[in-house]
Amino acid sequence: MATIFKAAKGRKPTAGHDQDANGDVEMKDKRINKQRVLMLSSRGINFRQRHLMTDLEALLPHSKKGISKRHNSIALPHSIHNDSLVTPLLIASSDAKLDAKSKLGVLNELADLNNCNNCIFFEVRKRQDLYMWLAKTPNGPSVKLHVQNIHTMDELKMTGNCLKGSRHILSFDQTFDTAPHWTLMKELFTQVFGVPRGSRRSKPFIDHVLTFSIADNRIWFRNYQVIEKELVKTAGAAGKDKDREETALVEIGPRFVMNVIRIFDGSFGGATVFENPEFVSPNMVRAAHRRDKAVKYQARNAAIAGRKMKLEESVIEEDELSTRKVFA
Amino acid sequence: MLDDDEAFSEEEVQEEDVALEDLDESDIEGEDEDLVTEQRITVNNQPALIRIYNDFKLKSLPWIETMTVTSAEPLVLKDVHNDLERELAFYQQALSAAKEGREKTKAAGVQFSRPDDYFAEMVKSDEHMEKVRQRLLDETASIKAAEEARRQRDLKKFGKKVQVEKLQARQKQKADELEKIKLMKRKRKGADDMTGGEDEFDISLDDGDDSKRGSKRAKGGKDAKGNASYRDGKNFNRARKDSKYGFGGKKRFAKSNTAESAADISDFNPRKNKGGFNKWSENSQSSQREKQARQSETPGIKG
Repeated sequence: MATIFKAAKGRKPTAGHDQDANGDVEMKDKRINKQRVLMLSSRGINFRQRHLMTDLEALLPHSKKGISKRHNSIALPHSIHNDSLVTPLLIASSDAKLDAKSKLGVLNELADLNNCNNCIFFEVRKRQDLYMWLAKTPNGPSVKLHVQNIHTMDELKMTGNCLKGSRHILSFDQTFDTAPHWTLMKELFTQVFGVPRGSRRSKPFIDHVLTFSIADNRIWFRNYQVIEKELVKTAGAAGKDKDREETALVEIGPRFVMNVIRIFDGSFGGATVFENPEFVSPNMVRAAHRRDKAVKYQARNAAIAGRKMKLEESVIEEDELSTRKVFA
Repeated sequence: MLDDDEAFSEEEVQEEDVALEDLDESDIEGEDEDLVTEQRITVNNQPALIRIYNDFKLKSLPWIETMTVTSAEPLVLKDVHNDLERELAFYQQALSAAKEGREKTKAAGVQFSRPDDYFAEMVKSDEHMEKVRQRLLDETASIKAAEEARRQRDLKKFGKKVQVEKLQARQKQKADELEKIKLMKRKRKGADDMTGGEDEFDISLDDGDDSKRGSKRAKGGKDAKGNASYRDGKNFNRARKDSKYGFGGKKRFAKSNTAESAADISDFNPRKNKGGFNKWSENSQSSQREKQARQSETPGIKG
């Protein structure tokens, strides 16, 4: 609405805004890149993951948090599921956490309701494992990631600070250009995590950098504050010498590691376009660990049983001259 | 192998994992005949990925809209579990991206650096930053305290050692000095018996034999006359009393004018005759009186 109004009013080129000379911009809208992100979590989220969600919400001014109440979650009744119009209204009005982990299609409608074209959904399983869904909601691709090694902004070792809602620079590793699935991920990150220019809650300056690096076939996320120290101006003949600025980075947080599980063609569903062969579900990891411990116990039991058998088999016949026979 | 899979619509099969049915008998004939190969077929549909990417990507936007910077070189880590190296690599990637981003932002005409007087809501609250600052201060203070404690401990040990050494040195020095004085006195006495002209020299510096002999004759020993020979200032009284009462006291009727006593000139102090004492100077009143008395003294006549 606001954009149409401004277009009708006749725009004035404001200082600081880049107007393309060759008129590529058809809509002549300040916000060419229009992105809005809906953030939701499922039930059973624990404190660290909740703080991560809060931190991301603080970093992304173009995000909207799907409000969730801890004890007041409503399970979707099955009968209403088929009615696509009623369900989002029901959920939105009751301010409930999303309980239907298997019916992720509802999220598309929720995002549409909130006028968002991206969605970050935190799915928690067994109150332990955090899975993050990134999706372009109408019909774009989506990706499911497994999140590990979460350190939130609250940790006292992260000493940096930045403006709430300032735009950031996104830094990607070269490895993102090597394979098509990485390229797709990079574009997805750019659209979801990149703050569009002219976003309502965004602040003017640029004082932090988000980095996405690939190591060990996982994506590592870091957030650094950019500190600029101006060195003393070199007095001398060259009066035009600019102040040499020393740039330093301090970590703000949060930091986490993402492991790609699958990339889907549609939003929260659809055909699998990419599957990570190296991904091992955390359940499998735990099961393998427990099995290793069990092997030791089983081996011991087997040894005991074997010994028992051996003892039973090795019974010697009583001798003719044994005491019992002689004095019977 | 890939030819077989053209039957499937668009999926491409990873080459490493082969379906069991496709293997020939000859492939399985080795020692591990019973080993079942993994049947995992993973999906990596590259054409579809590329198609989707082209569909949903943002097209022809100026850089300032998205502000993404891709690093020039890929990140290569030898060991992912080496935290320091890994974080350093991330830091460097971010730093180069920040610098590049700043250049591009300035080129687009947008202000990059936040001025110092711009106050707005920050992502971390002031109380939190205060806690962070306090923690840093505490850390540096604890390090300093530990350093100080260690330094004091070392100093104490060192100081104790030094103290002990010094005490011992002092005692030794005291003993040495006493020895030297004793020896000097003994030497002086010995010298007086023979030549009588060595008093200008102060305490002799070379110890030589004398120290050895001197150490054995600590306090005892008598001079030629039989008097106790430690007649310096402090022990003068001691010497006097010893000579009177020591070793059972003097015998009352001992010989007094013997050849020995006549030859003993230990009472002679030539320094007294050298002057310096006003009493005995040539023109002093008392010395003149004594002179007159000596000169006028004739046997039998009293003046």
